[in-house]
Amino acid sequence: MPLSPQVRAALVRIVSDRWVRAASAQLETFARDALPTARSIPGIVVLPGTRDEVIRIIRLLAHHEVPFVARGAGTGLSGGALANNDAVLIALTRLNRILEVDPQNRLAVVEPGVVNARLSEAVAEFGLLYAPDPSSQTACTLGGNVAENAGGPHCLKYGVTSNHVLELEVVLPDGSVVTLGSRSGEPWGPDLVGLFVGSEGMFGIATRITVRLLPTPPSIRTLLADFDDLTTAGRAVSAIIASGIVPAALEMMDQVCIEVVEASIYAAGYPIDAAAVLLVELDGATDDQVAAEGAAIEVLLMRHGARSVRAASDAAERARLWQGRKKAFGALGRMSPDLVVQDAVVPRSALPEVLDSIRAIASHHGLRVGNVFHAGDGNLHPNIGFDRENPDEFERVEQASAAIMQVCIAAGGTITGEHGVGVDKRRYMTDVFDADTLDGMARLRQAFDVAGIANPGKVIPTHACREWTQGAGRHV
Amino acid sequence: MTAQLAGLAPCTHCGFCLQSCPTFLVTGDEADGPRGRIELMREFTAGRIPADANGLRYHLDRCLGCRACETACPSGVEYGSALEEVRATLNADSLPITSRIVNYVMQDGGMQRVTFAGARVARAVARHLAGPSSLGFAWGMLDATHATTNKHAAHTTASVQEPRVRVALFTGCIMSGLFSHVHEATARVLRANGVQLMAVPGQRCCGALHAHSGQHADAVTLARANVAAFAQIPEDVYVVANSAGCGALLKEYPRLLSGDPVEEDAMALAERTCDVSEILVELGPTVGGPIPLRMAYDPPCHLQHAQRVTDPPLRILESIPELELVPHADAHLCCGSAGSYSLVEPELSRSILDRKVSTLAAANVDVITTGNPGCIMQIGAGLRAVGDDTPVVHPVELLDRSYAAAGYYGSQRSSTP
Amino acid sequence: MSDARVQQRLRAVVGASVPIEHGPGDALVVSPPDDHRTAAILETASAERWPVGVRGAGTWSSQQPNALITIDPSEMADVTYLDPSDLVVTAQAGMQWSSLRATLAEHGAWLPIDPPGERRSVGSVVATGTAGPLRCGYGAVRDHVLGATLATGDGKLMRAGSKVVKNVAGFDLVKLATGSFGAFGLITDVTFRLRAVPRADATLVARGNRDRLLQAAFAILERGANPAALELYADDPDDDWILGVRLIATDEGVQAARDTVAGAADLPFERATDGATLWRDHAAHCLEHPATLRVGVPPRALPAALDLIRHDLGPGWTSATVFPGAIRWSGASDVDRIKVFRHHAAHQEFPVTVERAPVDNLAVLGHFGAYREGVGRLIGSLRTAFDPHGIFVVPERAA
Repeated sequence: MPLSPQVRAALVRIVSDRWVRAASAQLETFARDALPTARSIPGIVVLPGTRDEVIRIIRLLAHHEVPFVARGAGTGLSGGALANNDAVLIALTRLNRILEVDPQNRLAVVEPGVVNARLSEAVAEFGLLYAPDPSSQTACTLGGNVAENAGGPHCLKYGVTSNHVLELEVVLPDGSVVTLGSRSGEPWGPDLVGLFVGSEGMFGIATRITVRLLPTPPSIRTLLADFDDLTTAGRAVSAIIASGIVPAALEMMDQVCIEVVEASIYAAGYPIDAAAVLLVELDGATDDQVAAEGAAIEVLLMRHGARSVRAASDAAERARLWQGRKKAFGALGRMSPDLVVQDAVVPRSALPEVLDSIRAIASHHGLRVGNVFHAGDGNLHPNIGFDRENPDEFERVEQASAAIMQVCIAAGGTITGEHGVGVDKRRYMTDVFDADTLDGMARLRQAFDVAGIANPGKVIPTHACREWTQGAGRHV
Repeated sequence: MTAQLAGLAPCTHCGFCLQSCPTFLVTGDEADGPRGRIELMREFTAGRIPADANGLRYHLDRCLGCRACETACPSGVEYGSALEEVRATLNADSLPITSRIVNYVMQDGGMQRVTFAGARVARAVARHLAGPSSLGFAWGMLDATHATTNKHAAHTTASVQEPRVRVALFTGCIMSGLFSHVHEATARVLRANGVQLMAVPGQRCCGALHAHSGQHADAVTLARANVAAFAQIPEDVYVVANSAGCGALLKEYPRLLSGDPVEEDAMALAERTCDVSEILVELGPTVGGPIPLRMAYDPPCHLQHAQRVTDPPLRILESIPELELVPHADAHLCCGSAGSYSLVEPELSRSILDRKVSTLAAANVDVITTGNPGCIMQIGAGLRAVGDDTPVVHPVELLDRSYAAAGYYGSQRSSTP
Repeated sequence: MSDARVQQRLRAVVGASVPIEHGPGDALVVSPPDDHRTAAILETASAERWPVGVRGAGTWSSQQPNALITIDPSEMADVTYLDPSDLVVTAQAGMQWSSLRATLAEHGAWLPIDPPGERRSVGSVVATGTAGPLRCGYGAVRDHVLGATLATGDGKLMRAGSKVVKNVAGFDLVKLATGSFGAFGLITDVTFRLRAVPRADATLVARGNRDRLLQAAFAILERGANPAALELYADDPDDDWILGVRLIATDEGVQAARDTVAGAADLPFERATDGATLWRDHAAHCLEHPATLRVGVPPRALPAALDLIRHDLGPGWTSATVFPGAIRWSGASDVDRIKVFRHHAAHQEFPVTVERAPVDNLAVLGHFGAYREGVGRLIGSLRTAFDPHGIFVVPERAA
């Protein structure tokens, strides 16, 4: 059902004409996030400038039972920020104020539209940082990070978004405002912050986010190891994990990625003849400690088949090595007109065999796959290139993606480590969860959103499993 | 699809460009960001959005064309050239009247001379009329074209003994009309570095404003004239631009004149064109006398993003003894000038400028420097609008002053070199 | 319903071999051997509207007196999955914490949670979310839990999370299990993320004035040392306090951290000769008193919160995790004083959890007391969603 003129007029009254987008071309620009395979034109877009406006908008929409979708920077990779034409897309980019930095208690309070990297920049003067660092950190918002429970390379040691959110002010889908958690990180009752983080916009909209800050490590050492083949690199990862040394980050890139990064303005100096490179970062309190751990890792890498290992000589080189890694997804745009980045997690000991399988699947479907991923977490990101104007190729991409998911599930893994389910992964949900568990998710959703108006149609598969949808008999 | 629009194909919709876009930072609106505009351009050229679609031109016109998104883009999307092409199609018969007037003046030699002569007369009183209103802002822009440093240095015309290289200065329109003091400083500085300057008659406006606003035919006419003018000088002579906007377009003439009979000459011109900072770094440059000031350098978009020249201006500024380079936040962002943008999109332009002015004010410096006339005027007017009279000058002006202080020009207030 | 009839129904559900006994009070204690039979018991209980209690090892909290049946998970006490190279383990809820720790050690693995009390069970530690001093360096219980099986109040098994270290597939049902005191379901197994057994583990202790030690602790944090534990505690808050600093890393790391600690704090630190015993004793201390409270406090508010505790609750075993900021207090179970304290704490935005207390007192106090505005309704909806007939007798809020 399209939006009523009454609701449209009321939205204009709340945020003013200037912050409503309803023209066809404008809506077109909000039809996608960073997932290339899905698009949907929203009914209308509003850009509230204050939390009070957000509250008034949700109250209005709750009253009329109009669905809404929250959107941050639109860098999500699962289609979580797509809205249908019966829904209101609420863009939170203007809620971008850092409200408080408390260096003594190591926390910051921000609005949801604050860009991830901006927070770390703002707290750097206190010797602090915000640890979760998704590769899109220069663009993505903390509100989006909370919705997706975003990860990043340094989550290996420091944990994902969920481990860093202390307190949330949330507008529930019925328009009521609640505060979850507390500034010390101690839950106030059951762990509602933990439930909300990663709920993909289906439990409400966070309007204030209190996050933990960590001290910048006094000493950092970044190693680059290169390998003749991917499988050997995978084995080296397992060896590091089993060694007991917990690197701050442990990232892998294959030859396809190395090539495109080296061709981009973010060229990092990766050896272009290598089949894979590993980026290992160690941090700690003193240079001696980090150097000792670095030496141990270097020995381990060489023993497990690295061709060479070198350490970044200074901060500039370290930054360059990381830029290459973080911009690899964008740089893969050079490989083909369109790109789908998959996200799955496998037990770390299964990495070598799973990487082999992915290679076989790609060649079977005649596709080019570039792997760039968080090896230390077993969090794979196969990037598959295609051209959306070529329907046959697109079909093969879909088949290959499904086959990769099945391989990861069979290895004891799961279908998404940090990108979320959104619209993209719903079809795989029944492969990893049984009917009762999916029903539990539906119950959870209903407890937060009785009317089912917050980001409907995401996460929970609606048609795949008749058994549990009928059993639960509720709309999700 | 044309070659220009094919440059959009690598876009993966990753959004890494968003925070580099000055208009997106002001409005937070996807349609005011590079990714949204790419989406609009793609859909328009694919015929899925009509030319008169509500919002299409509005958002494309609001792009500054600063091309900061190109610098941020990991997949190498060629945004600027695609934008020019789409604008050319869309604006074929409907350009904002302000743009038309500005572009006409720059194109017509007679109009140009009359306009700039009038402006120079009015400049004498501009300081008193500058302020925060729209009109006051325009006066502020004019006031910012005053020579503020080294006004009295001797205008040395003596030829250089045993020149190291030979150079022809691209004179341009605004630069010669309102910034002749920068041209003079450029000439002195180059000579002090052993450069022989050659005069090249027949030059015209570079055509950047026309190209950016989609007046393709006018841009081509101007480009052809300049290509022809420079084709007459020996091949080993460098063409030096001290305006980032002009230099950027000269380097892009081969694209503008692609398929044109003079394409080869355009390539030759592009290859020997360089920014004044590039040639100075190549030459050394000669170290002058001390300037004990705190200085902020704001890189022009058409230098850092379009030409990808980032280090050379810093290197020449660093070479000046006792000049302290004070970093300021978000230096990579556009000031909102963007050719005639500040006249066509005053509101958005001012929001962007306010951000720039506040970061510069926070740096608390004695002098601000940037290598493009539009930026000098925009930042200058922005400062004057808030009652701040920190001078905004071209980097060669500082170098010129340093040389004067060292006595290289043998002028009245020098010490021994 | 008569006791015999309940027993008969239960017997039909669980089969002949499963023990059903009369426990203290009148409740029937049933010890299901697996999660399916646990779910079946709950399904029947839900249909029959039987109030259900859960008991762990019985060392931490007492059983619910008004439960008709008590489920005892002690028959589910195995490690069902362990991959030492991946550093992931799945342990059943009835397993003793100490046995899990021993099993892991045999495989060179370690779970950095040091729960208060003694002879705790895995299910109890997770359901109560009771982390110990290691929370400073390694996070709360929730930060180590990758997955859990939760049997809901209507007898469904939710297999939440996974066995991999990173997972955002679907809503995070695991968070329903951790720290909710069984309000939403009964935990039958838990999957944890592990670490390799540390190479070096050293503990430094200093004694003295509370605030002086606290300032020293802040100084240690500011120097960038990342202690595994930074715990300030006292048997009697009016007497000397102890600052315990536990350092866990490689040999070089511990050495470096010791230097940092020494440089940051001008205190006569002694190295504990037997750190393991020291921390085990520390964990056991809170059982010496009938009630234990946990208070969330931002680090810089610790002095004020400790003063408030001393004033409102009276003397007791007090231990503060300096970062990220939490206090555990054990003392007399005085309902009125605890209520007053909770009221004062709420004003200062300090959440208070009654971790344990005699059942009668707990029934009045509730584990969490009152919630903030709007939250109580949400918790109510969640309880109804997962326990539609309200069979779990969990006093999650004040009576």
